[in-house]
Amino acid sequence: MSVGSARTPGGAALAALLARSADGDAAAFRQFYDLTSAKLFGVIARILPERGEAEDVLQEVYVTVWRKAAEFDPARASPITWTATIARNRAIDRLRARGSRPSAPLAEAAEVADTRPGADTLVSNQQDAARVQSALGLLDPRHADAIRACYFDGLTYETLALRENVPVGTLKSWVRRGLVKMRHALEAAA
Amino acid sequence: MTTPDTIPDDDGMTSDQQMALDYALGTLDRAERRSAEMRLRSDPAFRALVAGWQAALAPLDELTPPLAPPPGVWDAIAAEIAPARPTAVNGGWWQNLSLWRGLAIGGPVAAALAVAVVTTPLSAPAPVAAGERLVATLSASDGTPLIAASYDPARGAVSFAPVAAPTATGDKVPELWVIEGKQPPRSLGVIDRADGSHAIPAGRLAGLKPGSVLAISIEPLGGSTTGAPTGPVIATGVLSAA
Repeated sequence: MSVGSARTPGGAALAALLARSADGDAAAFRQFYDLTSAKLFGVIARILPERGEAEDVLQEVYVTVWRKAAEFDPARASPITWTATIARNRAIDRLRARGSRPSAPLAEAAEVADTRPGADTLVSNQQDAARVQSALGLLDPRHADAIRACYFDGLTYETLALRENVPVGTLKSWVRRGLVKMRHALEAAA
Repeated sequence: MTTPDTIPDDDGMTSDQQMALDYALGTLDRAERRSAEMRLRSDPAFRALVAGWQAALAPLDELTPPLAPPPGVWDAIAAEIAPARPTAVNGGWWQNLSLWRGLAIGGPVAAALAVAVVTTPLSAPAPVAAGERLVATLSASDGTPLIAASYDPARGAVSFAPVAAPTATGDKVPELWVIEGKQPPRSLGVIDRADGSHAIPAGRLAGLKPGSVLAISIEPLGGSTTGAPTGPVIATGVLSAA
């Protein structure tokens, strides 16, 4: 695992709050929510631009996190990675269940971005952000864009291939090869 | 993905590696996702492949701007998690959702208690004697701490910091309950409003131990007549060793 809890800012504090939540401490869980919900809502709202739907999924995600808090294993993932993974999976499940999606989520998300200073100091890692940017910068720009569209917008290969007007097989190769290259670059820089 | 798993295709990946990547990236359709999730439950090697990609992809989240959710989302979460724990058991009237949703602050008594906590200084700690001294922070359903409770076995009393201000109005009184594990709530009596200490009948002390839950509900004068909370539960907290 390349993103260990020890290297994630605030990882230990978040892990402690999760442990207390697992014991039924709702006040600790409230703190965990306050520290992480803007990040998770950003991830979800990018996949599900309809705001009410994104809020429903955010609610589901935190109820799941509360119920599964005892299963969190700090040796396997950082608390924010664990929680954000649950959030992405729930958002994508919702998107797939619906079948289609409106476009242009990025502009809407940007309009209402959380600009409170320090709102995400415990869950943000500027070094990670810089590393992943530079790793994506090593790729063919079209491939990097395809990776972003899959990850951030929750598109299937088929949808994206239609949009890019390339065969599905070609698009899969762009994305998969690009990701392998990105991962190697990230691990080399770690 | 018809390639046998041991033979890398022209992406240099086995079909399992591809599926793990595609699942972590989120590009699979609904049926493929269900199929990947079945593999996740049954196949540790596949689970490790997926976890590796999830960790590798996680830094991408740094590129997504955070977005503050509206306050109503937490309220909905608080309402949902209240009945699940700490008394998560099968069945039982005390799990009734509408009862526990009453944890949300409402009514004049709750407001008075909350204000008292803010405005009245802590009373001096009771003398420590033999037996285990226990404390609990009783919080509203949204996690807001309302009342600090301390149980002194030597005195057989629970002290509140401070719920004493007798500003509770009308014909309602706060009643203290203890919930042990899977048992239904047991009354510890109506909370005395004259001072910050609540004496507990000797026969009811048994359940006061670490891990038990204290709860306060709002009841008619004299306390609940049914043996169970009838009004809104305004605060709960888990007892732990002081």
